[in-house]
Amino acid sequence: MSPFILIACAAGLFVGLSRQLNGRLSLSTSPLIASFWNHLVGFAALTVLGLVVGDLWPASAADAPWYAYIGGPIGVVFVALSSWLVARIGAVNTALLIIGGQMVCGLAIDLLQSGKLSLWLSSLGVVLIMAGMLVAQRRPRG
Amino acid sequence: MHSTPQNHAHPLGFLIAFGTGGLLALMVQFNGALAQYGNSLFSSWTAHATGTVAALLFLLVLPRRPKPFEPRPPAPLWAYLGGVSGAATVMLSSMAVNSPAGLPGTLALGLAGQLLFGLIADGWGLFGLPRRRISLRDFAALALVLAGSLLILLAGNLA
Repeated sequence: MSPFILIACAAGLFVGLSRQLNGRLSLSTSPLIASFWNHLVGFAALTVLGLVVGDLWPASAADAPWYAYIGGPIGVVFVALSSWLVARIGAVNTALLIIGGQMVCGLAIDLLQSGKLSLWLSSLGVVLIMAGMLVAQRRPRG
Repeated sequence: MHSTPQNHAHPLGFLIAFGTGGLLALMVQFNGALAQYGNSLFSSWTAHATGTVAALLFLLVLPRRPKPFEPRPPAPLWAYLGGVSGAATVMLSSMAVNSPAGLPGTLALGLAGQLLFGLIADGWGLFGLPRRRISLRDFAALALVLAGSLLILLAGNLA
């Protein structure tokens, strides 16, 4: 197997691991506090990595528009909500629904930005995702 | 089939989870915009810095919830390492994007990795979270969401 396949898969595994750890931390603290630690500890880790690799502060960074900087605050809400979810609906359901929401909203963003889409395939994709959500949330009988 | 309390999650929880995915799509969009002015490491580093400040502000502004009657046991130290795992994700995914896997391949394989982790974590109740029995229904939902996501990734690639 190509090492790239393993690397891309490992990236997904680490997303799940991060969510699980933050979920555990949120049980002892709160989802928002867990999100705070996630960002602070991640910042420290990336600072070390940046000092080793270099190029942490590229010359063109100052030219970025203000809205490019609001990904961080959105991420705080995202991590807090995911920590709350994973402890309640489980890792599989959390991953499934977040992936579904990301795909459908990402599609909407693409549509608004470029309007270039293969509409047939993407509509079918949205229908399948919605069907998956319905199956996941149906309560078991009895 | 046995059902743990987690199987009785309120439908509202599922809508919140779906909306959380929408937030992720927005976040990826803004962080991607920032990466255009530098690189993915700079973008993620900056997002973690602004995120830390934002989290502090939220904690100061939002009302605190009342203390539970019984004090909860403290979190083990390893539970604080979620951020390290997140940082590793940044590094691995930017390596993968710049490989023959490309962006759609990286996203698709990343989804597979996440779901694989979820099955293992739920099945064994890893890292102190409740164990959750994996049912046929879970596999059906997983297959549908994965197939739909792959179609959307494919559609984006063809356009």
